[in-house]
Amino acid sequence: MAGIVHNSEARRALLNFVGTQILPHEADLRQWLLRLGVKAHELDDIVQDVYCRLLRLERFEHIEDPRAYLFRSARNVLLEQVRRNRVVSIVTVQNLDELGIADMGASPEAAAGSRAELTRVLGLIEALPERCRRVFELRKVHGLSQAETARAMSISENIVEKETAKGLSLILRQMADNGAAVVKALKPKLSQQPGDDKRGGERLYVAD
Amino acid sequence: MSRIDEDAARWVARLNGDASAEDRVAFDAWYAADPRHQGAYLRAEAAWTMLDRAEVMAHGDPERAQQALDRTVRTARSAMTRRYAMGAGMAASVAVAVAIGFALKDRLSIATRLGELRSVPLQDRSVAAVNTDSRIDVDMTSRLRHVALVKGEAWFEVAKNPEVPFVVSAGDIRVRAVGTAFSVRRRAGGADVLVTEGTVETWTVHDTERRVTLTAGHEAFMPETPQTVAVTFRPDDVERRLAWRTREIVLNSETLREAVAEFNRYNARQIIIADPAIGSETLVGGFHVDQPDTFARAVHGALNVPVSIGDDRIIIGTAAATS
Repeated sequence: MAGIVHNSEARRALLNFVGTQILPHEADLRQWLLRLGVKAHELDDIVQDVYCRLLRLERFEHIEDPRAYLFRSARNVLLEQVRRNRVVSIVTVQNLDELGIADMGASPEAAAGSRAELTRVLGLIEALPERCRRVFELRKVHGLSQAETARAMSISENIVEKETAKGLSLILRQMADNGAAVVKALKPKLSQQPGDDKRGGERLYVAD
Repeated sequence: MSRIDEDAARWVARLNGDASAEDRVAFDAWYAADPRHQGAYLRAEAAWTMLDRAEVMAHGDPERAQQALDRTVRTARSAMTRRYAMGAGMAASVAVAVAIGFALKDRLSIATRLGELRSVPLQDRSVAAVNTDSRIDVDMTSRLRHVALVKGEAWFEVAKNPEVPFVVSAGDIRVRAVGTAFSVRRRAGGADVLVTEGTVETWTVHDTERRVTLTAGHEAFMPETPQTVAVTFRPDDVERRLAWRTREIVLNSETLREAVAEFNRYNARQIIIADPAIGSETLVGGFHVDQPDTFARAVHGALNVPVSIGDDRIIIGTAAATS
């Protein structure tokens, strides 16, 4: 595959779709995968694979329920990995039909309006360490470029870039763990059932 | 978060900052190298783009924008303390109910039904774990501790007593131990002997001179008729093949045919392979002995073959039986 085309309309539309319709459900997806018995170290691979599939989408206007789409897509990744002899816990496969569907329903915060979304986005930035947060506020809330941000903070562009990478990493991690901190506070936390722990036990791969 | 995710975040920062032509070339190489890179990059760039909404939305909400600015002077909080410990405790133990009987008499018989597993302390403080559909006859005297494996399979943890040998007979096969742990399983024409601790000596009654010594981690099939015995050293495999002691079947590249035969040892609800062509597919995995349906669903997912799960039997590999 060739390098991605930047600034194209299609790419921008995809980024918008993924950023607003998919990313907010990633934390739930990860929880769901863990409950299916996927090992923590396998999670990132599976999630990356799921996002990679989104790249193949030519259009996404027809996706009425992005959350359900995301979960279905993850389910397909799991099935394919099992068939390709990758290390995936079988509970996964075994429970995909039974356990999966109930979790795919719309999340309570999905209906929340743009004000809630602003709170969520600002919450992500707010939770960053001091210098990181300042960089993100200037760049994202006030729309400054990297060079302008460097001047405003009297630091080098190189440092702004480093803080940007670090902050983005932290924000992605936040989204992977809790969605957004603010949303987390509103949402009843899923308690880990003692029984969940056992599910790691049953595995099956095609060894071929 | 994986290394790939961090790399992706770095590339987003670089390409949205001040990227040189060389950076672009390096990025293209990284991006093309692995589909996971492409997925991770889309994810990171989508998050970066999503954050622009702060600007868009805040501009329609000056109060919030001002608040956001005000906050820059206040103390920062660490995002990291909020993290869940994901996946912690995923590997908790599995409780196993084991029927325990006491066998304190000199002579006794222990028999198990299909699917039953019994772990029985013997008079000499040894322990016998008796697998499904098996029977042992125990005979303890002051000169000899003798256990006859009448049928099936049993594992013994032998209490040390050098004065009194502990001997298991399985048909014509004999296995002798002094303070050790091992299992014996009867097979057509001989017996499997697996040693988990210490040393055992095994032989066939047709050639008592030729004895095979097995130490921990070794396994051998002892044929009734005198012939060369192949001994293998596979400690992990020995433990794996004794998973039945915790009511588990652990497969490591066994064929579907062999795996099904294992499940059928434990359950009246027999599994039938309807399509002989798939019998040689090999499988890796761990299951409970009494959950053949779980196994069948796993096979369905892994081999992509139809499976019909009924109350009395389970059929793998026939299109007509798909439910």
